[in-house]
Amino acid sequence: MLKIKKIFISLAVLSSLNYAFAEEVNIYTSRHYDSDTKLYQDFTDQTGIKVNIISAKGKALIERLKSEGKNSPADVFITVDAGNLWKVQNYGLFRSIDSDKVNLIVPKKYRGENNEWIALAKRARVIFFNKDKYTFEDLKYLSYEALDSEQWKGKLAIRSSNNLYNQSLVASLIARYGEAYTENWARGLVKNFARKPQGNDRAQIIAVANNEADLAIANSYYLGLMLSGKKGEKQLSAGKKVKILFPSQNKNGAHINISGAGILKSSKNYNNAVKFLEFMLSEGAQKHLVENTYEYPVNLKVKPSVLISQFGISFKEDDIEVSNFGKYNSDALKLMDRVGWQ
Amino acid sequence: MKEQEILIIRNLSFGYEKRREILSDVNLSLKEGEILGILGASGIGKSSLLRIISGLEVPKEGEILFEGRLLNKNNLIIPPNKRGVGLVVQEKALFPHLTVLENVKFGIKGSKSKKHDQATYFLRLLKAEKFKNSMPNKLSGGEQQRVAIARALAPQPKLILLDEPFSSLDMNLRVELRLETKELLKRTNTACIIVSHDLDDVSSFCDKAARLENGQLKEIST
Amino acid sequence: MGMLSFSQLFWRLVTSAFFLFFIVPVIFVLTSLFADFNDNWNHLINFVLTGYVLNSFYLIVGVSFLSLIFGVGTAWLVTRYDFIGKDWQEWALILPLAVPPYILAYTFTSLFDTYGSANEIIRFIFSTSDDYTFFPNVRNLYGAILVFSSTLYPYVYLTARVSFINQSRTLIESGKLLGLDDKSVFFRLALPMARPAIVAGLALVVMETLSDFGAVEHFSVQTFTIGIYRTWFGMYDLNTAMQLSSLLLIFVAIFLIIERLERNKSSYSYAGSTFKPIKRIKLVGWKSYLAFIFCFTPLFLGFLLPIIEILNWAINYTSENFFSNNFLSSFFNTVFLGLLAGIICTTFAFLFNFIKRFEKGFFLKSISFILSLGYAIPGLVLAVGIIQFFSILDNNFIRSYFEFILTGSIFGLLLAYVIKAYALANNSIESGFRRIDRTVDDVSLSLGTSKLKIFFKIHFPLMKTSILTSLILVISEIIKELPATLILRPFNFDTLAVTTYIYAAEERMFEAATPAMMIVLIGLIPIFFLSRIIRESRPGSR
Repeated sequence: MLKIKKIFISLAVLSSLNYAFAEEVNIYTSRHYDSDTKLYQDFTDQTGIKVNIISAKGKALIERLKSEGKNSPADVFITVDAGNLWKVQNYGLFRSIDSDKVNLIVPKKYRGENNEWIALAKRARVIFFNKDKYTFEDLKYLSYEALDSEQWKGKLAIRSSNNLYNQSLVASLIARYGEAYTENWARGLVKNFARKPQGNDRAQIIAVANNEADLAIANSYYLGLMLSGKKGEKQLSAGKKVKILFPSQNKNGAHINISGAGILKSSKNYNNAVKFLEFMLSEGAQKHLVENTYEYPVNLKVKPSVLISQFGISFKEDDIEVSNFGKYNSDALKLMDRVGWQ
Repeated sequence: MKEQEILIIRNLSFGYEKRREILSDVNLSLKEGEILGILGASGIGKSSLLRIISGLEVPKEGEILFEGRLLNKNNLIIPPNKRGVGLVVQEKALFPHLTVLENVKFGIKGSKSKKHDQATYFLRLLKAEKFKNSMPNKLSGGEQQRVAIARALAPQPKLILLDEPFSSLDMNLRVELRLETKELLKRTNTACIIVSHDLDDVSSFCDKAARLENGQLKEIST
Repeated sequence: MGMLSFSQLFWRLVTSAFFLFFIVPVIFVLTSLFADFNDNWNHLINFVLTGYVLNSFYLIVGVSFLSLIFGVGTAWLVTRYDFIGKDWQEWALILPLAVPPYILAYTFTSLFDTYGSANEIIRFIFSTSDDYTFFPNVRNLYGAILVFSSTLYPYVYLTARVSFINQSRTLIESGKLLGLDDKSVFFRLALPMARPAIVAGLALVVMETLSDFGAVEHFSVQTFTIGIYRTWFGMYDLNTAMQLSSLLLIFVAIFLIIERLERNKSSYSYAGSTFKPIKRIKLVGWKSYLAFIFCFTPLFLGFLLPIIEILNWAINYTSENFFSNNFLSSFFNTVFLGLLAGIICTTFAFLFNFIKRFEKGFFLKSISFILSLGYAIPGLVLAVGIIQFFSILDNNFIRSYFEFILTGSIFGLLLAYVIKAYALANNSIESGFRRIDRTVDDVSLSLGTSKLKIFFKIHFPLMKTSILTSLILVISEIIKELPATLILRPFNFDTLAVTTYIYAAEERMFEAATPAMMIVLIGLIPIFFLSRIIRESRPGSR
C-alpha cells in the first residue's frame, strides 16, 4: 500500500513538473501539425533555448490557462483561430509584446490591441468547386452573402456549427451586418445544405470532388495538403478535381483567419518568449510554415507555396478586425443554434 | 357402453433406446367420470404413461383414442396443447410470476368475466379462494397443490391426470385433499387417472385400479 | 466495545476518504441545480433543449426495441432449440461487447458512406456508375439505433439466457397442457417469467446509450450528452453544463433504480420443488437456417463487420509507422492507467468487503451500495463534477501548500476511472469472499490470529482468481472510456480510445486501425472468460 502511495506522489510531481533547465520557453499550442516540431528544433539550434510543448485543443488550453492563472508555467500560447486569442486577451492573461522586429513584420490589423497577440500565419475560408462542373468565370463574383439564395438549394457542403472556423465566419458577418441580417442569411444557408453537416473541412472538399455537393466552404490550406500527396492517393485525386474561389472579391474580400500567438502575463521567460515569436516570423520559419502547412505567410518577404498560390495570391482580404471573431463568438453559436445549423 | 368410454389405449409400448421397454403392450379403457388408479414402484414408468397420454412423450407403438379421436398413430401426433387433457404433477409447477387466480385462469378460454368466474368457482371448491391474490411462493405445499388441481380442472377437461399429487403432503392433509378432490371430480364428472406408489391414495380414491409392473398393466381389485 | 485501535481508525479514515472522493464530484453536479440558471437557459429552452431531449428519447426507444429483438430472440432460440451453428453462436453472441459503440460507429461510416468500402464493393461487383449508392446513409438517428443495439444487445442476451435456462421444463409443459402452442409458450409464459432479468439487461443498455459521446457525435445525432458538451465547450458555460448534467443524472438514476429493483426480483424464484432442464427442440430444414440467420445477424453487425473493416483499414495503411510513436505511447498510457485504476479499485474493494465481513451496520452497507452505483454515471457528467471539485480544491487548498495543482493532472482521470469501474471490482471481490466460508474466519480468530493476518494469510491467497478477474474487468472497461478521458486527460497523454477518436474525427480512418484493434483485442479477454462460463452453464454439460 505504501509503495502505491509513493508512486502517486512521484506521478503527481512528474505530471506538472517545471523542468529547471538553463534557458527554456514553455509553449501551449493548439496547432497540431507534425511539421512544427522541426521549427522548434531549429529555434533551439539557433538560440540554445529549449522548447517545451504542450499541445491540446484550443478551448482546453484556454480553460487550463484560466484556472492556472498566475501560477501557469506557460510562456507562449499559440492557437489557430483569432477568436481564441481574443478570449485569452479578454481574460486579461496576455502581456504586451514589446518588439520592434515583430511590429515591423506584422501589420497592425494582425496585431491585437495593445500588441497583446500577433498573427503567425494566415488562412482564408474559401469556396471550393468542381472544375468539371463550373468555370472560374461562372463564379468569380460569388460572395458569402449570396450563398443563401435559392439557386444553391441542396448544393452546399459545410461542416458542423461546432467548428470554430465556421463560428468565426458567422461572427464576422454579425460584426459587419448585425444579428438580424446574419440570422436571415444563415437560415437561407441551412436550407441550401446538400446534407446534414458531417465530417471535417476535408470531407466537404471531397464531397464536391465526388459531386455530392456543388460548393464547399473550407479552409484554403486543405487543398495544398491534399495536392501535396502527403495524405494519400485518394485525397490527391480528389484535390485535382477542385479549384478555389476566393469569395466576395468585388465586395469585402475573403474571410481571413489567423494562426497566432501571445505571451502570457505569468510568463517567467519573457525574453525567450519574445525571441521565439521573432523566430516564428523570420523568413526561414515562415517559409517552413508555408511549405508544410500551406498557410499564407505573415512575413511579406516570403511567398506562399506554389501548390496553393496557383489559385491566386493577390486576392482581396477582408479587412475586418479579427478580434471580432472572439467578441461575437457566443452570439454566433446561439444564432447557429436558432437557425438549426447542426 | 362403448359410447361412454372416453379413453381407450391399445397396445401401447414405450422405451428409450438400448433399454428395456418401460411400457409394453399396455391396454386400458376409461369411462366418462371414471377414476382409475395405477400403482407401482417409483420410477417404473407410471409418469411416462401419463406423459404419453398428455402428449409430452411419443410412444413407440400403439394408439390412444380420446373422446373418439385418435391422438396418435405411428407418426401422427396431436400436440399436448390441443388434447384437452389436464395434468397435475408432484412439483405443482405453478407459474411463479402470476397470482393464484391468474394461474387458475390460465387455461380457461372465453370472455374475461367467464375466466374470472370459473376460476373463482374452482378455487372455492378446493378451499383455496382466500389466497387467490397471493403469489405462489407464499403458499404452503398443501395450498400450492390445491391451486394446481384447481388450475388443471378449471378449463373443464374431460380427463385429468394426477401424477403423485399427494406424495409430498403430510398425512392429515393427504386424507383431506383426497376426499375433496374425489368429490370435485365426481361433481364435475371428470374422468381421472391417478398414479401413485401409495396404496391408500389408490384405494380410497378410485373406482378401479391397476398395477404397472415390468412394463405391463394388470388390473387389480380394490 | 472499547476504543478503536490505531490501525482500525486508520483504515476507517482511508475508506472514508475514498468514499468522499467518490461521491463529492457527483454531489457537486447535483448541487448546481440550486445555483442560478443563467441566460443561456433561455436560448437552450427555446431552441435546442427539446431537440436534445427528443433525440435522446427516440434513441432510447429505438435501441430498446432492437436490443430486445436481438437479445431476447437469440437467447430464446439458443436455449430452446437446436439448429445449425447453435453451439458456437451460443457463446459468440456476446462478442460485440468487445466493440465499444464509437468504434462501431466509425466502421459503419467507413463502410456505408457514399464512398465507403461497402458501396465501393457493390459498385465493383455490379459495375454500376460511380455515384451509385446502395446502402442508406447511416449518419443519423437510425444508424445510431443500429449501432447501439448491435453492440449492447449482449447485456440483454446474457440475462435473458440465464433466465430461460433456469425455467423448469415442468412449467413449460404445464403451460402446454393448459392450451399454449409454441408461440404462446414464449409470449405468455417464458417471456413474462424472464421479464425482470430482461428489464435489468435493458436498463444497462439504456444507461450506456445515454452515456455515449463518440458515436452520437460522429453521426451528428444531437442527444442530451452532446448538448452538455456543446454548452460547455461551445458556449464556455460550465455552470449550465453542470445543470444539464444533473438533469441527465436524474434521468439515469431512474433507469438505475429500475435495474436494481428488477435485478433483485431476478426472474422469479421457481415455486416448486424440483428443477428439470428443458429438452431442446431440434429444428430442421429451412427453420434451422432461419434460426441460424437470426442469430448470425446481430453477431455479424456488432462484431464481425467492424473487425473486417478495421482489418481493411490496417491493410490500407501504407504509412511508415504502423506502430507509430503515437500508438505506442497511447498504448502504454492506457495499460498503465488501467492497471493503476485496477489496483486501486481492487484494493479498496478488498478493504470494504473485508470490513463488511466482520462488521455489519447500516452505514457500511449504504456506503458499499452507493459505491457500487458508479458505473451508471455518464463519463461526461463525471468529468464535469471532477473538474469543478478539483478546481475548488486547488483554489482553496492545494495551491497554497503544494507545487502542483490537481486540475489537469492525472488524478482527475484516475478518479473518473475508479468511480466508473469500482462496481466491477467489487462484484468480483465480493463473490470471491462469499466463497470463503465464514467459519474459517471464526476458527482463525479463536486461534488468536489477528484480523490483518487473516487478511494476508488466508483471504488473499484464496482470492487470487477474483483479484485477477477484477483487474481484467476494470482494465477492459476503462480502455473503452471516451468522454471523460477526452476532457480530463493531462496534456500529451492520449489513451487508445482518444487516439482512435482523434483519427476518426479527422477522417483518418486508416490510422485508427491499430488503436481500434487494440481496444477490441483487450476487450476480448474478459469476453473469453465469460464465454467459458456460458459454455459451462449449458444445462446437462456438467
